[in-house]
Amino acid sequence: MSDQRFTRQLSGALLARFEPIEADLLRLATRQLADMLDAGAADVQLAASDGVFGRLLPDAYRDDDEAAAEFRRFTSVNLLERKAQNAQIVLGSLGADAGEADAGAPDSADRQPVTITLDADAVQAWLRSLTDLRLTLADRLQIAPDGVVHLDGDDTPFLRELYEWLGMLQEDLVHTIDV
Amino acid sequence: MTQTTEHTELRESVSLDRPWVTLVWDDPVNLMSYVAYVFRSYFGVTAKQAERLMLQVHNNGRAVVATGNRESMERHVEAMHGYGLMATLAKADE
Repeated sequence: MSDQRFTRQLSGALLARFEPIEADLLRLATRQLADMLDAGAADVQLAASDGVFGRLLPDAYRDDDEAAAEFRRFTSVNLLERKAQNAQIVLGSLGADAGEADAGAPDSADRQPVTITLDADAVQAWLRSLTDLRLTLADRLQIAPDGVVHLDGDDTPFLRELYEWLGMLQEDLVHTIDV
Repeated sequence: MTQTTEHTELRESVSLDRPWVTLVWDDPVNLMSYVAYVFRSYFGVTAKQAERLMLQVHNNGRAVVATGNRESMERHVEAMHGYGLMATLAKADE
């Protein structure tokens, strides 16, 4: 947190700075999100049945199942496709995966921080995708309405740390643009 | 075409009196700063109004963020879902 994560340029674009390991992690998580969204957009039945899709595409009507189903029919594919596009934009701005290209290379200590430029459209995609990532992780972590994590497994500490890190990232991003 | 019965006019006025609303619900995931930002940037309200709406969501569990006809409220709800917020629409006097 010592260096500022996001800095605003005169053009209105943002510069974002990541440690290589952070960029790798974000890329990995976003790629999984994109795959999940693609699968949901391709199979609406899946999207209607899976818990995490229920949070990404919540009921639009609380007391009218029929209207909620109708709304879902008309909006879900479009919403999932846009969410998938947002994830692709995030992946695009993160750039090529150096870690994968040099898989097994011992020079990871030499890797330099990654600086990327986000224009206004990319910022919107990042804001939404970070939200979708956190919603997906919150579902995995079984976070209750009171915010308590109920998942109890080997993955829990890692997923929780990732969830909190993404929250800080988003907070930084919102504060940088919301002046 | 030109003749309008009183009865029809009455029905129209009744439907005008009962608009639809867009509600945003509290959830444990979305950041307060982000929710306020969404209200400000999407609905075009001032930072102060956005903050007040966000606090309503946070403290009361929900807030009415828009009022209008059903079609526009469905559009707002879809947009809110795009942002990842929990949003529903309902008749105003639910």
